[in-house]
Amino acid sequence: MIVQTALLVGLVLFSVLAIVLRDLLKAAISLAVASLLLGIVFFRMNAPYAGVFEISVVAGLITVLFILTIALTNAGEEVRESRIVRWVFPLFFLAFIVIDALVMKGLLQKIPALPSAPEIGTFGDVLWKGRTLDLVGQIAVILAGVFAVLALFRKRDKHD
Amino acid sequence: MINAWYLYLFFSAALILAGLLCLLTKRNLIRLFIGIMVIGKGLSLLLVSTGFARANILLAQALVVTFIVVEVSLVAAALALIINIYRTTGSLDVRKLTRLKG
Repeated sequence: MIVQTALLVGLVLFSVLAIVLRDLLKAAISLAVASLLLGIVFFRMNAPYAGVFEISVVAGLITVLFILTIALTNAGEEVRESRIVRWVFPLFFLAFIVIDALVMKGLLQKIPALPSAPEIGTFGDVLWKGRTLDLVGQIAVILAGVFAVLALFRKRDKHD
Repeated sequence: MINAWYLYLFFSAALILAGLLCLLTKRNLIRLFIGIMVIGKGLSLLLVSTGFARANILLAQALVVTFIVVEVSLVAAALALIINIYRTTGSLDVRKLTRLKG
């Protein structure tokens, strides 16, 4: 439990760093570290497939896409953030953490645990037989993403 | 098991609030998108931990895998949009998008 809590604290810490750090490249890398920690948390919760997807896709592919975008738009550093934000963000975040902790402590054991049937079969059974429609939706979403990127990067006509 | 669930609930609420605060306060488009990714992390942690606490981990994993696939195509489309906005306006400031330009 202590290791799991340490991993979760690291996850929140690196996510906040990704938001607060001024250098966008460092922010993207700390987001990748946060994904890596989340993947390890999934592995420790007996969810290896979700962990593998989180580490390989979110920590790998999405970080590469972010770094590519930062390299293609190198004027991103010129955007001025307002000065109040530097104080507002940590202040609100710390206040929320305190409220969050108090609420969770108050809720402890007040929500009744609903009965749930234990699962049978393997991950493949649940994914392919139980959530077949989700897979069709995933194929549609991937195709929609591919067509969106193709439409956004198409060559301009000469008349434009 | 249920007591551990509140710990995960606490951390996923913190992640979602950090992302929301980023969306409310920052002005750089890439930074706003990092905020959306942080919210996504909070949500997938919430899904898997609820599945873990209720002994329904397989269904939770199936949902998280679907969520990650949707997230990837969202990221690809949104980053392509951000690059196009940068080429049109020459900046990544969200405030410049409010100006109408025909």
